[in-house]
Amino acid sequence: MTLAVAPARVRPARAARPAHDAGCAHCGLPAGPHPARTAAGEACCCTGCAVVRDALAASGLGPTYDRLRGLGPAARPGARPPTTEALARAELDTPGFLAEHTRDSSDGGRTVDLFVDGVHCAACVWLIERLPFEIDGVTGARLDLPRARLTLTFDPEQVQLSAVADWLSRFGYAARPARQHAAGGPTEAERRLLVRVGVAWALAGNVMLVAFALYSGLDPSAGSGQAAATDPAMATAARWISLLLAIPSVVYGGAPFFRRAWASVRSAWTARDARRLHLDTPISLGIAVGFGQSAVAAVTGRGEVWFDSITVLIAALLTARWIQLRSRRLAGEASERLLALVPRVARRVGADGRVEVVDLADVRVGDVVEVPAGEVVPVDGPVVAGQSRVDRAVLTGEARPEPVGVGARVEAGATNLQTPIRVRAEAVGEGTRVGRLLAFVERGETRRAPVVLLADRIGGVFVLAVLTLALATAALWAVLDPSQIAAHVVALLVVTCPCALGMATPLALAVASGRAARAGIFVKSDKAVQRLTEVDTVVLDKTGTLTEGRMELAGWLGDEAALDLAAAVEAHTTHPVAAALVRARGDGPGAGTGGDQIEVVAGQGVTGRAGGHAVVVGRPSWVEAQAAPLPAAWHEALAAWAAAGHTPVAVAVDGRVAAVLAVGDRIREDAAALVRQLEAEGRHVHVLSGDDPAVVASVARTLGIDPSRAHGGVSPEGKREAVARLQAAGRVVLMVGDGVNDTAALRQADVGAAVGGGTTASLVAADLFLTRPGVRPILDAMGGARLSMATVRRLLGLSLAYNALGAGAAAAGLVTPLVAAAAMPVSSLLVVGLALLQPSFRRAAAADPT
Amino acid sequence: MNVLFVLVPLALGLAFAAVLAFRWAVRDGQFDDVDTPALRILLDDVAEPDAPTARPTDP
Repeated sequence: MTLAVAPARVRPARAARPAHDAGCAHCGLPAGPHPARTAAGEACCCTGCAVVRDALAASGLGPTYDRLRGLGPAARPGARPPTTEALARAELDTPGFLAEHTRDSSDGGRTVDLFVDGVHCAACVWLIERLPFEIDGVTGARLDLPRARLTLTFDPEQVQLSAVADWLSRFGYAARPARQHAAGGPTEAERRLLVRVGVAWALAGNVMLVAFALYSGLDPSAGSGQAAATDPAMATAARWISLLLAIPSVVYGGAPFFRRAWASVRSAWTARDARRLHLDTPISLGIAVGFGQSAVAAVTGRGEVWFDSITVLIAALLTARWIQLRSRRLAGEASERLLALVPRVARRVGADGRVEVVDLADVRVGDVVEVPAGEVVPVDGPVVAGQSRVDRAVLTGEARPEPVGVGARVEAGATNLQTPIRVRAEAVGEGTRVGRLLAFVERGETRRAPVVLLADRIGGVFVLAVLTLALATAALWAVLDPSQIAAHVVALLVVTCPCALGMATPLALAVASGRAARAGIFVKSDKAVQRLTEVDTVVLDKTGTLTEGRMELAGWLGDEAALDLAAAVEAHTTHPVAAALVRARGDGPGAGTGGDQIEVVAGQGVTGRAGGHAVVVGRPSWVEAQAAPLPAAWHEALAAWAAAGHTPVAVAVDGRVAAVLAVGDRIREDAAALVRQLEAEGRHVHVLSGDDPAVVASVARTLGIDPSRAHGGVSPEGKREAVARLQAAGRVVLMVGDGVNDTAALRQADVGAAVGGGTTASLVAADLFLTRPGVRPILDAMGGARLSMATVRRLLGLSLAYNALGAGAAAAGLVTPLVAAAAMPVSSLLVVGLALLQPSFRRAAAADPT
Repeated sequence: MNVLFVLVPLALGLAFAAVLAFRWAVRDGQFDDVDTPALRILLDDVAEPDAPTARPTDP
């Protein structure tokens, strides 16, 4: 983001330790009286250790020892590791948090779940699980690495959670409270399903073993070709055992299918619409008919048994469902993790003037809250003390921070940038503007047009087709050989039971969403994947989506060295323009020159000395008055920048105007490519922003968006209405946004996407969110969705072909239990293999725009 | 062949025991996180008998 990159800093090797009593500098074993020496003179027990230590120091990895050894702070100059935010840390110790988000543990203490940012590998596990040995009062620590979740058991009497967070911060891990609603539910359902899967496979395996015996000659009716049973008693026993094993498989393992099938039959009946039949309906039908026929055959000793096919089918389908559930949880957890970023506490100023951290729900209208710089305002109300600038970008789309003083109104969700302010609450919680928007988001779920998944749409047609074929088969065999009718109809129903069809969609989408998650794209529902491929209109937010959402150096003309001098002078002020300049040029060659005799002229600029030059930085007209007039060409550039919504700044060095620059909300580098690509694919691109219409028009012009499709000054409600209007005109709309002001529109749109760094509210409202910076991932998401839906379609086609083939064979009387037992796994494995091999969300796919 | 009348129920009994063991393992949360324990065996045991690393309780 900044123009210059800090040079890599190599830390000098640590000072030599005192002689042999300290142990080997590398491994810690006694170094003995005649230690080997490293290049820096440290004592090691052997040459090997000395070499390793030298090698580490030479590659700048000296601090490794700090981390490994004393668990001492790895003091690296320059780099700032993530630390726990002050407010999140304060929240950990509030009684409300302890009561609500911790639970009793088995050893009498309390257990809490924390999200820990920055964990990567085994070393992190080792370090963090040392907590019980490092902090008294912590009795247990288990880290779940893939979920970045730490389960901590502690004694609240002995240790405060903030102390644990501080300890973690020393190593660069930021701890955040995992709120209770984030745990529990989904895991429990997943565990129950997993037990079902295990039981179903155990039963299926044993039924298969018995089936082997039956197929290999024990049972003459099973198609082995032998005239008579070799051992009738054994054959009867084998059938009975299969029956006894199949009963729990069908009743317990098949229950989820029967339940959903029944629901879909009822809904189809009330709506008088066979297309409402779910894919679970033919599955249940196949299972039920096959099981019924086999049970009769087992009891009477006549006819064929299909227990092996049925039990394997149930187990395979349950496995596919479980994989789907697990991959869905991944996306859910990722959003929970981001939600945990927002503290639910506020700093209330008490009657005695003391500031205490309280639960946000305990803040009442009329209370005064303190908002330090960098924190988010928790309530709506006027400022009663302090003077600062607030960033309202997430609320209004206005990119420029606005100054606020006593009496000015601020809203919940705005970020305080400069100095602490105190705000009297006039509206809290749901009463705030943000609260009202969120309430809409929660209600909005039902307003959407229902999306019917492709596989479910097939379900209804499938049932009708199978039933028709069954009738045709019955009619055919009534003519040919009436005694065979039942056998062949059952064979048809069992062999067409859509095992592969049922597995195709969940597996393909689970694999795709797992890959997408690794690429930083989290999809909350399968419906969003399908809808994403149908999008023909993309509505983009401006601030924070097309632009970076914060003040940056947007452009400059003139002497580059002057920029560095300006940065050196501006480094002494807190104005947002100064911060942008320092970010951009702070590491430049002139940055080290420092600056003195700084004088700030309010509303105009700064004068000072840097690198031996007199420097004036500020409003162009003011700088002209201080130094000399600007060249005419620069005036044009300044006017263009101003039209684009940037703040123009001029720099004069030693009385000569040396450079002009613009600070503003820069357009993301990949935004133009996104727009071009979307237009090339024939999609309409719209821009909706709360920012000034002139600025929005300028951004649209730069990006090549039709000016009639760019609208500025749109309220959050207006954005939603605009999206609804597009939908009413028959467009399928993808809304992309990041702010609270986009939430209603995100929810209203057919697909809502929140981009990197988006606010909590937008994450809640969105169907998919992107954790990588930039807007490029939107294209990746659309491309990946297209590929994964193509895979789904291919798999569905393949399964249907298999079923058609099976139905034909069954109608012809060729399907025996042995044929079914062989054909079904082959088709299912084919589906599994193709689902795993699908090309969606591959790195290559992400790089190739088509 | 009649020995099968004993062996098959025996095999089923074993399968039943395996299912019970699996159920216990799932409820114990052993399948909730299948990546971290693989790394954990790389770590040295810290032998401090009076402060054993407590197992997480079921949520």
